[in-house]
Amino acid sequence: MSIRITRTTILALLGALTTWVLVANQEPAATPGALPDSQPPRDITVVLPDANQLPVIQLAFPALPNLASLSGTAANAGRELERTLRADLERTGIFDLLGPEELAVLQLTGDLARDADQYRSLGAAMLLQNELKLEGDRIVLEGRLVDLASQQTIVGKRYRGTFDLARRIAHTFADEIVLFLTSRRGIALTSIAFVSDRDGDKELYLMDYDGHDQRRITGHKSISMSPAWSGTGETLAYVSFFGGGPALYLADIATGRKTPLVTEGSLNVSPAFSPDGRMVVFARALGANIEIFVCQRDGSGVRRLTNSPGIDTNPAWSPSGQEIAFTSSRAGSPQIYVMDVEGSNVRRVTFQGEYNDGAAWSADGTRLAYSTRMERNRFDIAVLDLVTLGSQRLTNGPGSNEAPTFSPDGRRIAFASTRQGGTQVYSIDARTGGSLEQLTFQGNNSAPDWSPYLK
Amino acid sequence: MNRHPFVWIAAAALTISVGACAKKTPPPQPDLSGSTMTTPAQPATDVDPRPSPEVADQRPDPLSGDLEAANRHAYEQGLLGDVYFDFDRADLTEQARARLARNAEFLRSHPEFQLAIEGHCDERGTNEYNLALGERRASAAKDYIVSLGVSAIRLRTISYGEERPQCRTSDESCWALNRRAHFMITGRTNVG
Repeated sequence: MSIRITRTTILALLGALTTWVLVANQEPAATPGALPDSQPPRDITVVLPDANQLPVIQLAFPALPNLASLSGTAANAGRELERTLRADLERTGIFDLLGPEELAVLQLTGDLARDADQYRSLGAAMLLQNELKLEGDRIVLEGRLVDLASQQTIVGKRYRGTFDLARRIAHTFADEIVLFLTSRRGIALTSIAFVSDRDGDKELYLMDYDGHDQRRITGHKSISMSPAWSGTGETLAYVSFFGGGPALYLADIATGRKTPLVTEGSLNVSPAFSPDGRMVVFARALGANIEIFVCQRDGSGVRRLTNSPGIDTNPAWSPSGQEIAFTSSRAGSPQIYVMDVEGSNVRRVTFQGEYNDGAAWSADGTRLAYSTRMERNRFDIAVLDLVTLGSQRLTNGPGSNEAPTFSPDGRRIAFASTRQGGTQVYSIDARTGGSLEQLTFQGNNSAPDWSPYLK
Repeated sequence: MNRHPFVWIAAAALTISVGACAKKTPPPQPDLSGSTMTTPAQPATDVDPRPSPEVADQRPDPLSGDLEAANRHAYEQGLLGDVYFDFDRADLTEQARARLARNAEFLRSHPEFQLAIEGHCDERGTNEYNLALGERRASAAKDYIVSLGVSAIRLRTISYGEERPQCRTSDESCWALNRRAHFMITGRTNVG
């Protein structure tokens, strides 16, 4: 399915998107720069296929021209910004970047009218022109994405911020570019919660979506695990043993404050928020029988949803709020089921593999990622299409690959793997299983949960 | 109900044999080494701790010392042993029942002890499912012990899933040791 955009549409879009904006430090805009946008665009037709099947765009991304003129902290910030922007754009899966090395063969003049054909001779369809400047103790990025056929700027932005905001500026610009090309927000400003034993005990940590800025958020000195984001990204529900048996707690991200959620009984595990953040679904033991329960986010109104002998556990609330996926041993081996939110209409959705667990919804509610065990000793990541019930395996070793979680745009999946000895968190393309990226390196790291879009 | 008559005969025979054992006094001798099945006796709250000859002569009974020492002693002397499970299973094997019968015997003779039964799993399941499986293992052990006359009030279960393995090598010999229910003395109460 593709969307054909006519000249009129694109003109309207150009008008809307070539305004300069200032984002990073939320200060009043400085003198708005004028984009060299005076010549009227020629006829252009941009064909935007379905965002899931976008063809890869060849993007020329030359070195930042004035980076060399900066020094000290400013230069470091500039390099960080450029490196981050390149990595962000590459990770989108939308672009094939032609960097300074590939572009070195060209005889560029600096005049776009003359250079455009040269870029195109290398196959480039778009050009990213960035200028970096200093305004006092602030760094300024003026970036524009140029369509080389029409030589039109299709995304133009100006960002200004202190040096420590360099990465945030890059992420923000990358997300704008992705939004324009796919009509879906980029994920460069999202976070991943995970569990690490790097400081001794298993504690909860956060990191940026690209693995930067890893920071610990619990200090229970016990076993803490199973972080689960609220739909608004303000709170994590999790499991900790610090009070005895495994029980449920909430961590407020902004304040760091921890509060008990459900602590009665021998076992309360595997929490997941409803998409509106008002309820939590979890698994609880009634003797040897493990069942799925829900409660309000203050821990009140605990109510049972499932009723089968054996294990029902590891629930995940669908983005629509209407369904809950979970794992059950009711048919012998652990398999994934989906039920309506009140516990009715239970249906099994996995049929391949002797052991399936860890269902995670894509944000559009059409896919479930899960861990599947084909061989006795290890898992792989698979994705189930809930319309066709067809399943696709995304990893094939090495090591055991578990606990998948979708990025909020559905384009990537983070998971834990033992592929290099120890356990580390990686991310891959959610369609192909390709473009593997290792996100953690210190200690053992597991149980990633990708945040929703954050403010 | 359409049961085969043999089932009723077998059930009746079992009832008779259990009844017979229950009347038996004094309680059966402790079997600390072998894996032979010991027959559970009736719950007894008035039984004195059994003497452990080698130790008791030289120093005070380690079971009345601090909990760490009591646990070490009970474990090393085979008074409270671990119960092992098959891969991905939480049901009790013949061997597991035998071990639990001996644990029950010890617990009946020491009604002062409060216990946690820990459920553990090997690393091959998922972390989340293993938390549930560990609870089922601990709970299966608890239910059997209770059926042998140990008060449920003294017992609580705690699942560690695969988070606290006893053995850290990735091979079957190690995994087998990690699929277990472990008995931990957590406190004492005064028993009239």
